[in-house]
Parts: sequence; C-alpha cells; structure tokens
Amino acid sequence: MFLIGIALSAFADEVVFRAQAPSQVVVGRPFQLTYSVNQRSRDLRAPEFTDFDLLAGPYTSTSSSTSFVNGHRTSSFTQTYTFTLMAQRAGTFTIGPATVKVDGDNVQSNGVRIQVLPEDEQPTQQSTSQPGNSRTSSQSGSSEQVNSENIFVRTIASKTRVQEQEALMVSYKLYFANVDVAQLTNNTKLPEFTGFLKQELEQGEIQTELEHYNGRNYQTAVLYRTILYPQHSGDINIDPAKFEAVLRVQTQQRMRSIFDDFFGTYTNVTKMLTAPGVTIHVAPLPSGKPAGFSGGVGKFTLTPSISQTELQANEAVTIKLDITGAGNMKLLKTPAVDWPEGFEPYDPKVTNNFSTTTAGLSGTKSIEYLAIPRNPGDYTIPAVTFSYFDIEDKAYRTLSTPEYTIHVKRGAGASEKGEEGTVVRYTQKEDIKQLGTDIRYIDTRPMKKSAAHTVQHADLIWLWYVLPLIIAVLLLIVLRKQIQEAADINRMRYKRANKVAQKRLKAAAAAMKANQKDTFYAAIEQAAWTYLSDRLSIPTAELNKDNIAAILAQKGVNEALIAEVKNVLSTAEFARYAPTTDHAMNDLYTATTNLINNLEDQKI
Amino acid sequence: MKKIFVICNLLLFICHWTFAQSDFDAANAAYAEGRYDEAAALYQAIIDEQPNAQVYYNLGNTRYKQGELAQAILSYERALRLRPNYPDAKYNLAFAQSKITDNIPEQDFFLSAWTRGLRNSLSEHSWLAMSISLFILGLVGILLFLLSRMLWLRKTAFHLAWVALLFSLVAGLNAGSLHRRDAQRNEAIIVQGIVNAKSAPDRSGTDLFTVHEGTKVSIRETIGEWANVRVGQNEGWIRLTCLERI
Repeated sequence: MFLIGIALSAFADEVVFRAQAPSQVVVGRPFQLTYSVNQRSRDLRAPEFTDFDLLAGPYTSTSSSTSFVNGHRTSSFTQTYTFTLMAQRAGTFTIGPATVKVDGDNVQSNGVRIQVLPEDEQPTQQSTSQPGNSRTSSQSGSSEQVNSENIFVRTIASKTRVQEQEALMVSYKLYFANVDVAQLTNNTKLPEFTGFLKQELEQGEIQTELEHYNGRNYQTAVLYRTILYPQHSGDINIDPAKFEAVLRVQTQQRMRSIFDDFFGTYTNVTKMLTAPGVTIHVAPLPSGKPAGFSGGVGKFTLTPSISQTELQANEAVTIKLDITGAGNMKLLKTPAVDWPEGFEPYDPKVTNNFSTTTAGLSGTKSIEYLAIPRNPGDYTIPAVTFSYFDIEDKAYRTLSTPEYTIHVKRGAGASEKGEEGTVVRYTQKEDIKQLGTDIRYIDTRPMKKSAAHTVQHADLIWLWYVLPLIIAVLLLIVLRKQIQEAADINRMRYKRANKVAQKRLKAAAAAMKANQKDTFYAAIEQAAWTYLSDRLSIPTAELNKDNIAAILAQKGVNEALIAEVKNVLSTAEFARYAPTTDHAMNDLYTATTNLINNLEDQKI
Repeated sequence: MKKIFVICNLLLFICHWTFAQSDFDAANAAYAEGRYDEAAALYQAIIDEQPNAQVYYNLGNTRYKQGELAQAILSYERALRLRPNYPDAKYNLAFAQSKITDNIPEQDFFLSAWTRGLRNSLSEHSWLAMSISLFILGLVGILLFLLSRMLWLRKTAFHLAWVALLFSLVAGLNAGSLHRRDAQRNEAIIVQGIVNAKSAPDRSGTDLFTVHEGTKVSIRETIGEWANVRVGQNEGWIRLTCLERI
C-alpha cells in the first residue's frame, strides 16, 4: 500500500523529491523505500543504510499522465527509485536524505524515520496457549485463528491517577494479527462513563499501524477516543466496552474444486470483542481553594481589555476577558465583574472557541461584560479575579485584571435644559444602600483616662447625703430665727404705729397753736410717713408715694382712701415750702388725723 | 518629704500615661497593617497597666478580626463598663452578638428591660454625682418653700423639691445597682465553644441545656470551680473555666 505512485499536481518548475517508507517494520521482513521525484532526474545518491540490509534496488520506474479538463492541460510526471531493505535489529532508525540531480542541480529529499519492531515470539506464545501444537498461525484453522490472542481490543487510559477535573484520554484500540478483519459493525456498546464529563475526539478514517505488543506484532487501529474529566474524587470504574467485528475466515470444509482451492474458501464470522474495564483513581483537589475559584483545572492565561476609560454618561463600556489555555474549559464559571453603583450591567456575552485535542480541550473563552454608566463621575471597577487549579504545578493560581478607573463625563444634552436633551436626568432620590456589614474601625483618638471601674469607699457615700441635709437643717434653723425676729420688729412697729402717730400729731397741734409753721409741717409729714412705714412694714428706703399706693391697693384699700393718702402726702410736702394760712394748717391737721383713723379702721 | 513623694508619683503616672499612649499608637498601627496578634498583645499590656475603655474597644476589634468572637464580646462589654456612652462599642457589640450561635430571647418585661437600659446608659460615677446634685437641689427647694414669703416662689420651690428628690432617689438607686453589679461581677461570657450546663456542680450531673461561645450569662452563686448560671429562663451549673467574668 505504500507503493502507490504519487500523482503530483505540482507545477513543472517546482521540484518535489520525497522519500517514503512504512513507519513501522518488523525485523527480518523486507520492506520498500521509495524516492519519487516529479521531474526527470538522474544520478541518485542514496544514503548509507547502516542499520538495514539492502536486498535489492534501486529499481527505477517512470510514469506520466496528461489530462485536459475544461481546456486546461495538466500533466504529471513521476520518476520513482525503489530500494528493498530489511531491518537487522529492533529500534528506531533514521534513514538520511538522498540527493538527485535535476537539470544539473542537486535536490535533497526528506529523511525517513522507521520504527523497527522485534520479531514475533511465536513459539513461546503458542506453547503457552496451545501446548503440543506446532502449527504456525498462517496455517491455523478458523477456531484457533479467531482466538483472543489474534484479535482483541485494549482499553488504554492515558492516566489512571488524576486530579479531579484533570483531563485524561481513554481510547479503545483494536489489535489483530493473522486474521482478516472485514469490517466493524455498528453494534458497539460503549460504557456510560458515569462520573466523567465526556468530550469525544473526532475520529477520521480508521488507520492501521503496526505495533509490537506482548512479544507480537499486531496491526492496530484506534476505534474510539474520548477525553474524560472526572467530576468527583475517588475510584471511578469505567465499564467494559463491546465491539463487534466481522472476520473473514478460511473454511475448513473439504475442497470441492480446484478453484475453491485456488481462491480459498472464506466465510464471514462475527466476533464479539470485549475491551476490559478500567479504574481511574481520582484525587480530590487540595484544600485552600481561593475565593474566586471557578472550577477550572488546567493551565490558563487571562487577557483583559476594556473598550474605553473615558466616556459620557449613558454610553456603554465593555470589559473583555479572554481566558486561553487547556483544561476543562467547558466547566469554567464566568467570573463576576463588580460594577460600581450607578452602572447598569447587562448579562455577559460568552464566546467559546474550543478544540478537542488528545491533551484535552483547549482554546479561548471570551467573556464580554457590558454596562452603561448612568451618572457622571470617576468610578473604579475592582479587579476581576479568576482562579484555577494549575495541573502542572499542583497549586491554585489566581489571575486578575487590573483595576480600571473610568471617568464618566456628563452626557451630551444632559447639561442643557432637561426637555431639550435626549438623555433623561435621574432626579429620583435614592436611599443609601447597605452593601455589606462589618464592625466599626478601631478608636484612634488619643486615649482618654477612664474613671475607676467602681466608686471607691462606697460605704461612705451616705455622707454625701447627710452632710447637705445637716447644712440645710442648720440653715433652716438660723434663717427661721432671723425671719421670726424681723417679724417681731414689724409687729411691734405695727402695734405702736398709731401711738407714735398720735404723739407726732400732738406735737403738730402744739406747733400749730404756737404758729410755728415749719415745725408743724415737719411733724405732720413725719407722722404720715412713719405711720405708713410702720403700718405697712415698708423699709424707710423704699418709701415713696407710688410704692405706698401700690401696696395699699394690693391690700384691698378703696380708691378714695388711697387718693386721700396721696393728697395728704403731697399737701404736706408742698405746704412746707409755700406761704400758707392758719386755715390751711388746720385743714391738713384734720385731714391727717382722719386719714390715720380711717387707715386704722381698715385693719391692714 | 511628703511633697516630693507626691510629685514623684505624679511624674511616674504621667510617664506611664505617655508610654501607654505610644504603645496605643503602635498597637493601632499594627491593627491597621493586619498584624492582629501583635496588636492584641500590645492592647492587653496597656490594659494590664491601666484599664481603659478605648483600649478595650480596640482589643475587641482585634479579637473579632482574629475570629475570637467570645473574647471580642467580652472586650466590648468591658469597654462599655468603663464608658457606657460609647456608640462605637455599642454598635460593634451588637454586631458581634448577631454572629454568635445562641439566640437568647429577651424574656424580661419591657419595662425592666427599659430600666436596665437606662441604668446602663451612664456610669456609676455619673449616677452618683447626679443623685447628690439633685438631692442638694431638692434641699434648696425645701428651704425656699419653708422660708419664702412669696406665694409663686413657694409653689415653684415645692414642685422643684419633690421632683428633684424623686430623681435623686432614682439616680441613687441606679448608682447602687451598678455598684453591686460591678462589685460582684456576676455577669460573664461563655468563652468555650460549646458548654453543657449540668443539674448539679458535679461532672456526673445531668446535662440540662447547651450554650455556645459568646453568650452572656449571669452567675448566681459559685461552689468550688462550678458556677450556677442563668441564661434566659434556664439555670444550670457550668465550670468556671468555661466562663470569663466581665
């Protein structure tokens, strides 16, 4: 199959010189190494085949073809040099490049890497499985041909000890030797892969390869591959898988004709192949998950970007996070952006661009966060953190964006009159929003001395009450006595008032008779004033007409009498300095006497 | 000689005070930088020297940040003992109490809760000073009532006297109540995570109820290393090592 001529559709001026050989060969089996060139060439210089025996060659062959398609002429030409080689020993060898001359120029081919597999350890295997039977496998009958040594399916897990969420690959590989696999039916039963998140790998056309396994060389083909992410820790079993293959088996019935013998007689045999189950030991993720742990396990990088940091109110701002890497990308939680108050956030837009490789999912997860600031001002968007478990370092890593400071200018139109602007100004009042609670900060004021915890000498506290009480009682006694005494004096003056007045009046009468004008008026005035002072307990300093009138009115003395008192007092005052007659003196005397008598009757 | 002694004492005191202030600043700086262990040790040293409301409050904050809720509550309570009118301490105490496990419903009649709140709103010294001042005011009122001859003054003095004496009595009772509370120190905070209260001061006693750290209890009596405590309507015996008196 490796000898298929290569139809090169290259242009004539482009020289293509290639070496081709099977990638796996077996010791002691001949194989062919071909060099093909798309131009007429000569003088091939092959490399030295140090690890291989040259059995034959080089044989040179040429082929050319010309075709017209839609008036286009395409022609191809191939010259092939073929060597037949045989490997001497097992191992991996490189055959160096060959050179050839095309139009006088030396052209070099590529080198070839060949894996040489050891020979089959047929005899020992045969003896262990079927002792005493010396048949070679090529001649074995159908029953032996289709045994589990000639055809089987292996379950190959890339790792059996993994961390939670660490990617591993499970593949089912068909091994066959000395049997002819006609086809694989669709009757395949794959396990459920419970406990894993499954990501199937795209399977192209089934390719066969030679592989040395358990001392034998097998043709192998990968039937199914999947990437698995364990979803919990512990031992997780993967159940056996079942595949069905149709084999072409030479029949053992007697030959009926020479043609049967010549062509051979084959029947199709259906063979159920069971791939064994496998147990995956899943270690839990270590403790100490960071706060922003997103469930990501693998290796990631974070590329943040922001659309603009200077904008007008009601314009949109976008923060974009590109998470690139390999791991369980499908399970990554979208980190949250803590938009400041006054921003109207929208749901983030997530774009996944993943590809499944044998190492797991890799690619980029782009998250776009859009928000619209409604109020002008300077805002700080706190750093967005993204934490994951680094599978290589076996540690948690936290990636974070820088803090973005956004300057939001007043939106156009909003500064003008409200109805003209296209932007609605928010005038609705807002309560202060409680965003979180914590204890209040420590007291950093200078220390103030605190009073002693409890009052000292508590048993002497009663003194504080008793001492004022004693002082109060003493004060009361002293003041009472003084008041009493003062009252006694007043009382005496009250009682003696009339007597004193009569004595003064008598003196006045005597003066009147003697026509001593000054003495008379002085005596009358004194009599009136002294009487009123004693009678009303008014100190001499406070004596005046208005005062007396007020006190008399307070004591219920009638208006006429008060007017009389005023009249007498003023008459006595004026008459003293004015020329008067005996008649006037007599009148005043009578008036004063009557006034005193009337006041005496009032019992004030 | 005596004078010199007094001056020396005064100087010593001032020195102590300035040292304490510098320690206080150092502790505050440690707290600000998140070195809580260091801050707690410094605050504790200042308190050992001279109890102070602010230092207790800051120590409470430090304990809270260290995650020691019971110690934080204890410190806030002690800060409020020294300075009852301390809004920050009140706020943080309420905050810390909201984080503890036990939810002790207020069993008291609202009036007694109110009177207790009133009592706790001032310090013992303040109540005492208020009581004595009001008493003297009342006495002045009585004197005026007895001695004055003016009717309005006598009326005013009479009302002033009885109101002042009544309030003096209330203030005096509050002061006495606070003095008893602080002298007996019969309120305590549970400092152990979970404590089972027993029916007798004995290991073998029946478990009656469970209290968690940070809960305030009142101690009714102590026998040996056991205390009879009351929480809400429950009474039981708890080892003294599980408590810390405020």
